[in-house]
Amino acid sequence: MEGILSDIRVLELGESPSVAFCGKLLADQGATVIKVEAPSGDPLRREPPLLKTLAGELISSAFMAFNTNKFGVTLDLAHPHAADVCKRLVNTCDICIESFAPNYLSTLGLGYDDLMRLNDTLIMLSITYYGQTGPYAQYKGNDFTSQAIGGFLHAVTGSSDKPPMGTVLDQMEITTARNGVIALMAALLNRDVTGEGSYIDLSTTESVVATPSQLIHPFTFTGRNPRRGGSDTNVMDGMHLPTKDGEVTLTTAGTGGKPMEVWSDFLDEPRLRDPKFGTRPGRLDHWQELYELVAPKLMQWENIPLMEATMAQGLVIGLVQSPIQVLESPHLAERGYFVSIDDPESETLAYPGPGFFIDGENTMRADRVAPRLGQHNDYIYTDVLKIPSAVLQDLHSEEVI
Amino acid sequence: MRANILQDITVLTLEQVHALPWATSYLADLGARVIRIESKKHLQDRKAGPFPNGKPGEAWWNEAGNLSYYGTRNKESLCIDVTQPKGKEIFLKLVQSADIVTDNFRPGTMQRFGFDHDSLSEINPKIITLSSTAFGYTGPWRRAGSRARTVDAACGLSSLTGYEGGPSLRASNNYMDHSVGNNVAYALLLALYRRRKTGLGMRIDLTMQETGVSAIGPAILEAQQDITRSRLGCSHIWKSPHNVYPTLGDDRWIAISVGSDYEWDNLKRAMGQPEWANHHHYDTVEGRSEWRHTIDEALGIWTKSQENKALMHYLQTNDVCSAAVYTAEDLLSDPHFTSRQFFWTVENRSVPTVGPRQYAGRPFRSTGIPMGIERVATLGEDNEQVLSQLANYSTQGITELYKDGIIANTPDAEDLQI
Repeated sequence: MEGILSDIRVLELGESPSVAFCGKLLADQGATVIKVEAPSGDPLRREPPLLKTLAGELISSAFMAFNTNKFGVTLDLAHPHAADVCKRLVNTCDICIESFAPNYLSTLGLGYDDLMRLNDTLIMLSITYYGQTGPYAQYKGNDFTSQAIGGFLHAVTGSSDKPPMGTVLDQMEITTARNGVIALMAALLNRDVTGEGSYIDLSTTESVVATPSQLIHPFTFTGRNPRRGGSDTNVMDGMHLPTKDGEVTLTTAGTGGKPMEVWSDFLDEPRLRDPKFGTRPGRLDHWQELYELVAPKLMQWENIPLMEATMAQGLVIGLVQSPIQVLESPHLAERGYFVSIDDPESETLAYPGPGFFIDGENTMRADRVAPRLGQHNDYIYTDVLKIPSAVLQDLHSEEVI
Repeated sequence: MRANILQDITVLTLEQVHALPWATSYLADLGARVIRIESKKHLQDRKAGPFPNGKPGEAWWNEAGNLSYYGTRNKESLCIDVTQPKGKEIFLKLVQSADIVTDNFRPGTMQRFGFDHDSLSEINPKIITLSSTAFGYTGPWRRAGSRARTVDAACGLSSLTGYEGGPSLRASNNYMDHSVGNNVAYALLLALYRRRKTGLGMRIDLTMQETGVSAIGPAILEAQQDITRSRLGCSHIWKSPHNVYPTLGDDRWIAISVGSDYEWDNLKRAMGQPEWANHHHYDTVEGRSEWRHTIDEALGIWTKSQENKALMHYLQTNDVCSAAVYTAEDLLSDPHFTSRQFFWTVENRSVPTVGPRQYAGRPFRSTGIPMGIERVATLGEDNEQVLSQLANYSTQGITELYKDGIIANTPDAEDLQI
């Protein structure tokens, strides 16, 4: 199946994980995404942990993960001779996504007002931590501080009796990117009808707040601030419990309202039927005792057989899988979820798919791994833009490219 | 004012809980006609609240905050029993003029209803159907039940989450739900984009586990080269100082993140060059990382006597990346977010007992795509409209449907007590 976005061309400027993941979501569905990096390279390339390539080089796992299926060129946007080149790139594109501080591109003559004068069907998405306007617009930010000011640290992850603790691996940047592609698809569909481009201002901190994670409106309805914690002592419905080869989290779902009877039978532990465990408050009050009864029984199980046995009885549990266990999951293997992408210079790795199958097919492209620095300079500058080689030589020697 | 980009699109959604209603709320905001098919026998969403002042009122089924935020926001509510032959017949009639059918039932349920993709596409060959499940329609786990946090666990995110030196902890209460919701919205917009070009309908199988795994890509690659990550709480794999630090008051904190020598110099200057900070151990990124616990402790002593918001502004003027750890209340009174009009006040005139309440807005702004909440459907509010416009029912016919219990706009008498 041809990529759904195979007729769309995207220019990606900037260094935030969110703009990278946004470009990736589009590239994976077939869009031609050209990632522009400073000649010194995107700092994300050097972000540990680092993977080894066949040539013995080291490259960030995050860079590889967030830049699948893209083309890569170098261009020092700050250089006075770069704006012309950038405009020529933009003119070949339907969409420009960027993550510089508000107004930075305008100071280079590359703001939306400048670009849409050349092409009024251009769709431009600007991603910043605090948005294009407002008193904090020029504040420094990242995924961690976005979790802080976005209410996530106080209210969501972590334990009630400990300091706040957040999620890992740039979830807020990813959430921002997901909002970004929704807005971009809406803009594309709009353009099909009206013929007009548009400008989109996307804020990471607002992406954190705007979730159904029960943050703002629970406060405006009840006057109570949602706060983290609450499942730390919930043996049957929240704690992570050890098994023979990993961890598991139980639930009381699927038990027809009789969780302790059902689990007592399943784990072969009659003492679970003690009336003091019969209610949720009771289970919280006596959680240590309950833990002492449940944990040893679970230690007799390995994860996959436990999942299969509980599934067969309609019980609901969650295997706390490590990344390697996820990779080796028979379920995901049968579904064909992971996508291998070849590259002559690196080991073939399996990449996560997009999470949806269309007409039974995993739609993620496997066209190319994350580009090496400037890998497609020749292709884009010579073949596509047809910049004469003399001009290109000058751009090289002036370190514009 | 609402966008009209999808004004020609009709969505029938058999949705419950968080993820799918969140997804279809985007389409509704973009102008699609989203018809939420509700059952008076399955009102968990409407029971979930939150309720004004925490107390369900007499007509509690219309008062929950989640409805305005995503449940029935900009959507229409058709309260119909599709398990009855008459209800099923009506649903299939609606499919004729629909563009999208979405559901989040466990695999098997849609088949049992006769609403599987093949059956629906016989009625309407251009239909796009999307089922959003935990584990998908294929594979050995397709029969597994789930909760958002069990999928947090199954996708790998929870194993990576936890305090330093501590056990793994669930990564969220329902981060998975909004991740999936966002992914469903994207998939549906892709489907519409493709259908415009090809005229073809399609079948989409979207899963929460796989959406979650797609969000831990770096760890998946690392695992293939035997690299494991430790759980670090708020600490960072190489940046230091990078943590939450206590500030004035109870459970009040500030997040500070220093990633370079330049930023460390800024922080030292902001602190007034305390002697401890100028120790040569801390002159390099590696040194600061090695000594991060010592640095965290000392930095915490400095922050403890300060108010977190003022400290955030002070540090930012010194070019230090930092942010106060905000509560909902902090957000609602913050000058930046209020100046951007990020919070929307909504008053549902059909439910005066709730009154005006504030909700988070959308994080993207575009003059080409105006967004707002125009209406919040009460239970079965649009029965008459939908049935007369899309299923050719007369007033008389609709009255009979009410009488026979096929459609409703209140719970049954025995279900009125919450």
